[in-house]
Amino acid sequence: MSERTVESTDAATPTPFTMVTGDPAAMVCDGDVCDIPTAAVE
Amino acid sequence: MHPFAYFVTSPIKIDIWSDIACPWCYIGKRHLEGGIAALGADAPDVEIEYHSYELSPDTPLDFEGSTVEYLSKAKGMPVERVEQMMQHVTNVAANAGLEYHFDKVAHTKTLKGHELLHLAKAHGKQGEMKERLLRAYFTEGGRVNRIDELIGWAVELGIDADEAREALESGRYAADVQADIAQARAYGIQGVPFFVIDGKYGISGAQPAEVFSQVLTQVAEERDGAAA
Repeated sequence: MSERTVESTDAATPTPFTMVTGDPAAMVCDGDVCDIPTAAVE
Repeated sequence: MHPFAYFVTSPIKIDIWSDIACPWCYIGKRHLEGGIAALGADAPDVEIEYHSYELSPDTPLDFEGSTVEYLSKAKGMPVERVEQMMQHVTNVAANAGLEYHFDKVAHTKTLKGHELLHLAKAHGKQGEMKERLLRAYFTEGGRVNRIDELIGWAVELGIDADEAREALESGRYAADVQADIAQARAYGIQGVPFFVIDGKYGISGAQPAEVFSQVLTQVAEERDGAAA
């Protein structure tokens, strides 16, 4: 694996894409409340 | 590089599912732009297409209260907790160079705004319109469901007012909006922003700019390898 190789996983993902792991704490909106980890706002 | 690679190389396609009423979508947009810019002269050519996604279909067309009031009531969360969340998002947005004013935000359905995005796409101005609507919603307190306001933003971008009115009043692009939403469902997309790079890599959330740089670099290298 080269230094630049994107870390990814296709395990347990319902999408047809190779999911890039990136920052697992990256924020996403799902429904009318956006996911904001509690720790991030304390 | 293969001698014919120049002739077969097309821009890297970036498909983005997002809503207008989505604070992390605007922040994610900036991070993506930052990730591309960070590659400088090595940045590959990209083609960005936005796809519609409605986060909260049950949102009233014209909720008159504040976003804090709406979320507090809809989710049964204490006002103080919601205000704390909004402040956190505002701070993250500021770090991305964005100015959020949740006290001004007019919480509303976004379907008409998405229809305008499809009209703008037909004019080759979808990216500009996405930026305009996000700024209107989060910074200026614009009503992204009201046809008269939407026409104003269309005119700003050089789209004929009469054409915009006809398209929005007739729902010319309503089916396209629903097709985008159905495609997201078929892909298993459960939250936005959701980025698909080159039809291959999926990126969920407002990831840091470096993640976008890294994925684009990898895709470009994979293309180079395939063309060699």
